[in-house]
Amino acid sequence: MTVPLRAPGPDGYWVEPEEGGDVIALVVVSTFVVLVFSILVTGLLRSHADILRSLHELGVGVGDPIPAGDQGSLASPAPVTLGPTAAGAPALGPAPTVAGVTPAGDARAIAVGNGDHLTLLGFLSSGCATCAPFWEALQAPRSLELPGGTRVVIVTKGQDREAPGEVQARATGHVPVVMSTDAWVDYQVPGSPFFVLVDGTTGHKVGQGVASTVGQLAELVRRAEHDRTPGRTQRRPQPATLGGPAREAAADDVLRGAGILPGDPSLYPRTLEDVFPSGPAAPEAPGIVNGRSVRTKS
Amino acid sequence: MSSIVAHGIAARLPDGFEGRIFVRPRALGATYPVAQFGTFPLPDDIGDFGSGAVTLMGPDDVFATLFEYGPESVGTALFARQGRPPAFSPDDFSPIVLRRGLVGQSGTQWFFTEAGRPFSFYAVLGSHQRRELLVPRVNTLVTSFALIPVTPVTPGARPQWN
Repeated sequence: MTVPLRAPGPDGYWVEPEEGGDVIALVVVSTFVVLVFSILVTGLLRSHADILRSLHELGVGVGDPIPAGDQGSLASPAPVTLGPTAAGAPALGPAPTVAGVTPAGDARAIAVGNGDHLTLLGFLSSGCATCAPFWEALQAPRSLELPGGTRVVIVTKGQDREAPGEVQARATGHVPVVMSTDAWVDYQVPGSPFFVLVDGTTGHKVGQGVASTVGQLAELVRRAEHDRTPGRTQRRPQPATLGGPAREAAADDVLRGAGILPGDPSLYPRTLEDVFPSGPAAPEAPGIVNGRSVRTKS
Repeated sequence: MSSIVAHGIAARLPDGFEGRIFVRPRALGATYPVAQFGTFPLPDDIGDFGSGAVTLMGPDDVFATLFEYGPESVGTALFARQGRPPAFSPDDFSPIVLRRGLVGQSGTQWFFTEAGRPFSFYAVLGSHQRRELLVPRVNTLVTSFALIPVTPVTPGARPQWN
């Protein structure tokens, strides 16, 4: 059975049905759709503005004027602010000690103002893909060709924000790895990877920011070292950088210079008298209790 | 002033000091906590008593290690002293006490029991001649750490299946 679209009225005439209700519904739906899209567009614009603002704070704001002579940086559009502050620019402030725990659960505190060297703090995360090359490179400082004496420290968030096992898996033991959320707060780290360069002579930060490539980071550290006050005197002996055959050869040179040649009796002491010809008996070494060793390493 | 805590040892590091508190891997045998402090960058791979570190000291530097021994040492004559030394005097430091004799340096070593744990405190001055200036730094350090008694784990206290 088919239902007629039209039907005669009581007076027998055919009449058109009223269409006002459909139109109103259409207007209401259209208004609702427009409203929803307006909200979406507003949200997207706001999100876009947030991103632009963040980029600007990191030093790579879209539309920012490019300094003259820095056209080459277009090839590597990385947010780079690491490096010494310009003369007259406000200082970056003192660098606090980084204190926390190691991935193994030991305690570790790194004072960054107790020497005449640079300290490069790398704030990394275990789950950050961008951090991966920095994890590898920072733990092989020699391959980075950083200035001599530069100390590298990797800082992750504390055990409340990072899985120690994952951090441990990335740590090689060649440079200190400290887990400390407090350090991230102290250094106002916006995210990882993030780097802070500290001048140990003053205990102040001389640069901070991010770099997109390991080479770029190393170059910035070298530049910072170059820009430091020339003529500084080193207060401490630098760690020996020789190893293996080179170290052996260097030791031979020193002994030869002191007149100690191969076969010299002083190289083969048999009694304490050979070591201390006229001095008192050697004191009991630390780690020896009641004549027996209680520790293997001293 | 930063604080570090681990293995029953807590330290509020005086300005300029850094440090670490660790236990060596058990693969080396029975191991106990060691705390090391220095006014210079401490490499990670150094000996318990500072070998590998004392050669990096400048004349104004101080190195110290707090070394715990096994519980079998408690009650022995060497650890009869109760509590850490309250303060050192410059006369307490001597070049012949050094674990490794380095020209110009001097050291001191004390054995004691505190919190029921046997310890040795070993400190090195970067310059014996400057001991009048450096010993107060050691004294500040000695008062900065706290030793927490270790509760022996009794079999009944361990988690176990019923």
